[in-house]
Amino acid sequence: MTGTSDTVLKVEGLQVSYGSIPAISSLDFEIKRGEFVAILGPSGCGKSSMLNVISGLLPPTRGVVEVDSRPLYDAGRHAPKLGYVFQAHRLLPWRTVKQNLELVLAASDVPRDQWEDNIDRLLDILHIGQFKNSWPMQLSGGQRQRVSIARALLVEPSYILMDEPLSTLDEVTARSLRQELSGIWARTGATIVFVTHSIREAVYLADRIIILTRGPSTVFENYHVPIARPRAYDDPRIAEVEADIIRRVEHAWGLDPIKQSEVA
Amino acid sequence: MTLSTSMQATTLSPRPKAGTMDRNIRILGAILAVASLFAIWTTLSITVRPWVPTPYDTVLAMGRHLTSQGFYANLFLTLGRIAAAFLAASVIGAALGIAIGMNRKVEAFFQPLLAMALAVPDPVFIIFAILALGTGEAAGFVALTLAVAPFVSNIVRSSVQARDKGLDEMTRIYRIPSDKAFWVSLVPQLVPALLTAARFSFALSWKLVVVVEAIGQPDGIGASIFHSFRLLRMRDVVAIAILFILLMQLLEKGVLGRLEKRLLRWRQ
Repeated sequence: MTGTSDTVLKVEGLQVSYGSIPAISSLDFEIKRGEFVAILGPSGCGKSSMLNVISGLLPPTRGVVEVDSRPLYDAGRHAPKLGYVFQAHRLLPWRTVKQNLELVLAASDVPRDQWEDNIDRLLDILHIGQFKNSWPMQLSGGQRQRVSIARALLVEPSYILMDEPLSTLDEVTARSLRQELSGIWARTGATIVFVTHSIREAVYLADRIIILTRGPSTVFENYHVPIARPRAYDDPRIAEVEADIIRRVEHAWGLDPIKQSEVA
Repeated sequence: MTLSTSMQATTLSPRPKAGTMDRNIRILGAILAVASLFAIWTTLSITVRPWVPTPYDTVLAMGRHLTSQGFYANLFLTLGRIAAAFLAASVIGAALGIAIGMNRKVEAFFQPLLAMALAVPDPVFIIFAILALGTGEAAGFVALTLAVAPFVSNIVRSSVQARDKGLDEMTRIYRIPSDKAFWVSLVPQLVPALLTAARFSFALSWKLVVVVEAIGQPDGIGASIFHSFRLLRMRDVVAIAILFILLMQLLEKGVLGRLEKRLLRWRQ
């Protein structure tokens, strides 16, 4: 696999083991600049290990992880900037929304005189401008997750990792946030790696879906979503693609008809 | 018609709020508790005369102490000793608790020592400190620090180990320098435990300072109480004790309570 200049993230021969227990047997994939890629895999396939590796938290047992053609590990002060939207918001509850955002800005290269404008702009895009001076506990789950998205975008990252960020929200809030996420991606051109259990969510949001095998995982398929944007969540074509993906992973994930309906 | 009227009455009649009711119950409970204590005290002062002074005599003695310079000299001396012991025990205990909670090697070394220190009765520290260092200020200070710091350390260690590790990951991913992450992410998580430890440390400190003064110091509130006891002036013993306890409660509720409210305002 050879990375091109517009390759943001290159993962080559990635192996992760915990002692003698392998979590990832061999992963190879690339993410291009501005791409919205979803990663889909069954429970226990090593998604969390993979996320830990590509977020810089866990050095791989073997293999190469490069961000903007530089190794992610041992990069020292050249370590790339990443954004991360966690399953739970992970905001500091004792700091206001603005203070939470300033904290990550202080650790980034964004000049101080741009902080205020950048914060205001992103909070407005995410429709939470009025909560700038609120405590996270005063916000709803959806609003907190919006702050978390703003935090990830603020640091002007090479790419943003999203680890099932909508899974803890109610369906109405999740729907509205999915739509906004799609819009934000279109406006900012951010590179997003979105991990999800929901095939429909992956089809709605992503250009490409990297489907993993059961653990210890490898890449089962790079699936290009054949639906033009803008997309509607209830579009029958999304349901068709979803059904197509289920058919493809049926054997790889060892799904029986009951489990298929659980995935759907 | 009757039904409708009764329904309207049910709907419109003002009902006390749950918060107001709780407060009323608390106030009533406190009044009853003080009244019961007063009744028991009065009964004892009649039956166990002269060893239990009457409330009236005690109030007179309290007034006398409040207007004497000697009382304030002793009080400020004791407050100074409490502040020194409280600060030393809190700082040493908290620092040790954080180190033990964060590092397994430090935990492996200190945990058995901590368990032993927690098992030693407080008077043992006091007696050994007096034997080793004499009856000067240093003995009390060392004894109190040794007695209180392990409790603080234990509370803080538990809180460090129960911290939200997700926030540690967040600070690492966003490359927040570790010294900054310590102050903005870890320490605020420990605030409730630090406040509990401070309350505990304060409560234990002032009680032990009084004991240390009674055993080995020529001055201070503890020494005053012991002096009055030796002269069998029981009303002075009770009067000084009540005044001191009231002041300590005022400090605990006033200073630590306000501090807690301020530090945890984000929860409201």
